[in-house]
Amino acid sequence: MKTVFIDCSPKKRLSASGFIMGLTRLFVMGEKKNEKLRTPSDHDRILNEILDADNVVFSMPLYVDGVPSHLLPFLKKMEEFCLEQHKDLNVYVIANNGFIEGKQNEPLMQIMENFCDRSSITWCGGLGIGGGVMMNVMRILLVVFLGIALLRTVMSIINEGIFFPIRPWIVYGKQILEVLALGCGIITFDIWLAICINKKKGYGKHYTRIMLPSFVFIICADIFFTIISVFQGGIFRGWFSKKKPTG
Amino acid sequence: MKMLIHDRDITLSDAVKEKYDRVISADGRYAPCQGCFKCWTKTPATCVMKDKLHEMCRLIGLTDDLVIVTENWYGGYSPAVKNILDRSIGMSTPMSTYRGWQMHHVLRYGRYNSVRIFVTGDVSDKEKETWKLMTQRNALNWGVSDYEVSFSDPFDEEGTVL
Repeated sequence: MKTVFIDCSPKKRLSASGFIMGLTRLFVMGEKKNEKLRTPSDHDRILNEILDADNVVFSMPLYVDGVPSHLLPFLKKMEEFCLEQHKDLNVYVIANNGFIEGKQNEPLMQIMENFCDRSSITWCGGLGIGGGVMMNVMRILLVVFLGIALLRTVMSIINEGIFFPIRPWIVYGKQILEVLALGCGIITFDIWLAICINKKKGYGKHYTRIMLPSFVFIICADIFFTIISVFQGGIFRGWFSKKKPTG
Repeated sequence: MKMLIHDRDITLSDAVKEKYDRVISADGRYAPCQGCFKCWTKTPATCVMKDKLHEMCRLIGLTDDLVIVTENWYGGYSPAVKNILDRSIGMSTPMSTYRGWQMHHVLRYGRYNSVRIFVTGDVSDKEKETWKLMTQRNALNWGVSDYEVSFSDPFDEEGTVL
């Protein structure tokens, strides 16, 4: 069984879609191939991989309630390809949006289902995730926290001669548990999706989210964007102003 | 301001320019959104990619009545039209709020009056349902209460309203 995973995020690296796709990939058996779809130059290479595949997993961010525009020409090309080749293919989708409600991915799911109908390939369902970007931020933070734990260990060796100080690692363990608790919905539904891919059966449409009350998530998102805007300077360049066209 | 975004032939822009304050021809000659959010965090209401969609969010944000004519692509916008919308998220701010009991972004330019979407080409029944949901979701995101989707071309070849 061959499964092609397509990360459709336009970001070159550290995309939330790529991360969540990678998480699913961990639990999928058989031959696995990772592809990145950013530009038209990626199209032929990916179609070549799909030629002998059994499953395709699209992972993408939600853009303006639908699929990102750069993905649409690929879907059209894939539709023609599948019809020409009489390709029998199972399609799964992972959609991730910046809002907390996973259900906001519903129009995207329907578009992908309509694409499968037109391509005469099998729509096997998808997972819509709310606040997946937070999972992505947290995995980066976990690497930072690991660095801090290591630094505190080195400082402990130098200052106190203790080679394995327990405290920094207990703190790091707690941080891992917090991330797992916040992401338990995503992880569980991801594993379930992988099981369905392994069995080549339908998954249906499921929606999950970061396990936070929405008002807490909104506060976190606002703080996140404020910090980024301070560092990038946007906050000083008319952050909320109703700018008029210059041309 | 009344604005038309369309993905039909460029000649339509000339034919209907008297009827709208601004006509945008979605010809696809621009880059897709890179998801960098810099139109929120670095250069508010300005895309960092210096092509003709550089300030598109300002135009759409200042619009009172928006009309979109788009070919059907699986129950959603054509790539050329979707690209314009994707590149226009700067019409909102990065701050979040609740609208319709769900999380959405605070609008930079406030709410606008109406959105009319005309879908052209072959549309299946399932795709029509997707379009209805898509229009409703877009209207909620853009803070519009008066919205409608129609499955016909509003103009004939000469740009006359049908």
